[in-house]
Amino acid sequence: MKLFVCVKHVPDSAAHIAIIDHIRIDENISFLLNPYDEHALTEAVRIREMNPGSEVIAVCLGKADAEKTLRSAMAMGADRGILIKTDKRHDSIETALALKTAIEQDGSPALIFTGKESIDDQGMQTLFRLGALFDFPAATNVVRLDIVSGKAVTDTEFSGGVVSTYEMSLPCVIGAGKRLNTPKYPTVRDVMRSRKSPIQAFEFSDLNMETPKARMEVIELIPYIQKRQPKEITGSPSEIAQKIVEILKNEAKVL
Amino acid sequence: MTRKYDAIIIGAGVIGAPIAYELSKMGYKTLTVDKLADAGEGSTAGSCAIVRAHYSTADGVAMAYEGFKYWLDWENYLDHVKDEKGLARYMNTGSLLLKSQGHDWKKVKKNYNEIGVKYKELTVEEIKTMVPVADLHEFWPVRRPEDPTFYDEPTKMLEGAIFCPEGGYVNDPTLSAHNIMRAAEAKGATFMFNAEVVDIRTKDGRTAGITLKDGTQIDAPIVVNVGGPHSFKINKMAPGVWEGCNIKTKSLRHEVMYCPSPDGYDYLNDGYHMSDGDVGCYVRPEVGNTFLIGSEDPACDPKEWVDPDDFYAGKGGLGRDNVLTEAQWQAQCFRFGKRVPDLPVPNQPKGVVDLYDCSDDWIPVYDKSDLPGFYMAVGTSGNQYKNAPVVGRMMAELIDACEKGLDHDKEPFQYKFKYITRSTNVGFFSRKRQINRNSSFSVNG
Ligand SMILES: Cc1cc2nc3c(=O)[nH]c(=O)nc-3n(C[C@H](O)[C@H](O)[C@H](O)COP(=O)(O)OP(=O)(O)OC[C@H]3O[C@@H](n4cnc5c(N)ncnc54)[C@H](O)[C@@H]3O)c2cc1C
Repeated sequence: MKLFVCVKHVPDSAAHIAIIDHIRIDENISFLLNPYDEHALTEAVRIREMNPGSEVIAVCLGKADAEKTLRSAMAMGADRGILIKTDKRHDSIETALALKTAIEQDGSPALIFTGKESIDDQGMQTLFRLGALFDFPAATNVVRLDIVSGKAVTDTEFSGGVVSTYEMSLPCVIGAGKRLNTPKYPTVRDVMRSRKSPIQAFEFSDLNMETPKARMEVIELIPYIQKRQPKEITGSPSEIAQKIVEILKNEAKVL
Repeated sequence: MTRKYDAIIIGAGVIGAPIAYELSKMGYKTLTVDKLADAGEGSTAGSCAIVRAHYSTADGVAMAYEGFKYWLDWENYLDHVKDEKGLARYMNTGSLLLKSQGHDWKKVKKNYNEIGVKYKELTVEEIKTMVPVADLHEFWPVRRPEDPTFYDEPTKMLEGAIFCPEGGYVNDPTLSAHNIMRAAEAKGATFMFNAEVVDIRTKDGRTAGITLKDGTQIDAPIVVNVGGPHSFKINKMAPGVWEGCNIKTKSLRHEVMYCPSPDGYDYLNDGYHMSDGDVGCYVRPEVGNTFLIGSEDPACDPKEWVDPDDFYAGKGGLGRDNVLTEAQWQAQCFRFGKRVPDLPVPNQPKGVVDLYDCSDDWIPVYDKSDLPGFYMAVGTSGNQYKNAPVVGRMMAELIDACEKGLDHDKEPFQYKFKYITRSTNVGFFSRKRQINRNSSFSVNG
């Protein structure tokens, strides 16, 4: 089985993002593996372990520097990587086509994994476009995946915690959600082991693909300025702790 | 408006606060000014606050060993003052110094013997039982991951380690400075925040006071520069002071990385502080079962001397100001990962960046200056947190002696330690000294 995982090289969420000329960000910051893709990789590795002889291949469309993200993917268990090098920003239409072309050139996928979204563009389109191009079913924000008698059974989570269960024919596209699994941080041993794992890198133009007719373009980036209204929490330490738990539960909804 | 004090201390960090405390105990009316909002919010806030005795000079060891006694006796030291924020806690872990080519451990051992520091020499097997996650091969020399030889397989084993049962860290360095502030206030000291000093005024060739950014002038015949990474800027405000220093200070960027402990290893409760010159890292436990990984500044790493105002304003360039850099994240984590191969290294860097107030020889300057009435406790070079209470007492006595007529440059003040039976020649920390060739020229001091 060839298990492909599409990974994206995205700005570190902790970085200071500065917008230049109202249209692009200053890229002199750290870039790393899209956090949702960590869940996608972890799942692909799990499926591989259950299907001896399978292979996990990380595919990335990005600048040359994205090799680092592929290295992270391999430290997390991918067997090898494919890097489609580009300096341009591609919309999800072109990205999906490039990923499809590269995957097809490599072989036939049994499953394709992606993160449910990338934390930079948050377009949430690429995985569906990829599915459509291949004519594969696709599910996003997947929080459970089982492969049962040649089918993928997934739990997909919607807002408000509503979960739907789907049965999809294989191959299919799985958009990994946060609750799908708990990715393990790669250890230095993993990094050392995967150092020599192969990366096949080529230029975007080498894909020889037709330029899609439809196009989406970002015309302006406007920084989102958050209005913060700090409130002091008072009381005894245990009262304060209680109030914090309430806020995390009811307002932030992270507990 | 002009107010008058006996002494003004610039900087309410972990070094400034105890100077104010000790001077107040001696009857000086002190004012401590800081441009930040509270005590310990400068570089002290970023400190790993490790308390260990190994230094490359006997005076360094003596001072650290003396400092250790203060941390053990924290409530007493503070004269049982109440701090509404609670008290900082010293966590004794014991301290391992690996014997390696990266440390002049023989010198350290000699110093331990001279000062009477308790220690034990360990074999590699003994270290392994204490730190089961460690790979005790020799990895020397320290390299960067960009260097292909970084990944060379080791062939030799390390020699062993020197273990000091007395050593550890303070759990909250900012809080410790705050504690000392409260103790100082109880003795009559005043602290003023959000107040930036922009000028040191003189009168008849002597210190007369300070001027704040808003124009306020405050008078005092004594001013002490404890500005941390800003120390050189403050020295330059005082006529002739910077020029009169043979040893200068500047601020050096330093990153500390946070990595979770390997599965199944309770580093927080079972771990030791460790200085590992063989891979150029020092580590200590932190809550969340985390390793804090600092760098011992190996020669292969570029040193980033920065302007402290730009750094704290986040102007050092994106990804280069107070944000961890990816290259250094890999360098420190992968280096330490050689020692602990199961160390998980998150893809997203996490840690702290702050500044060392670094002197030319990585040994501090605790001294008077060429301007009468102007003193300095600067150049703490990333390794003086542990000494803060000692420095407070020593500086207060030095200031008092100089004000009473001692010519410290000619006849250096001898400071008698409170806990260990030894005196130290404060001239060792003189601004006029030649560069101390005995120094490790690193954070190890
Ligand atoms: C990342 C890091 C890790 C470290 N780890 C250790 C360790 O493990 N063990 C150890 O012993 N030491 C360690 N150190 C060193 C130790 O923390 C420092 O030596 C110590 O905190 C310095 O204290 P300070 O009071 O001199 O400086 P600071 O805490 O920086 O205080 C100086 C104060 O002066 C104020 N100031 C500056 N200029 C002005 C002005 N013009 N007007 C008004 N106020 C001004 C600042 O706002 C600041 O609050 C570490 C340091 C760093 C940066």
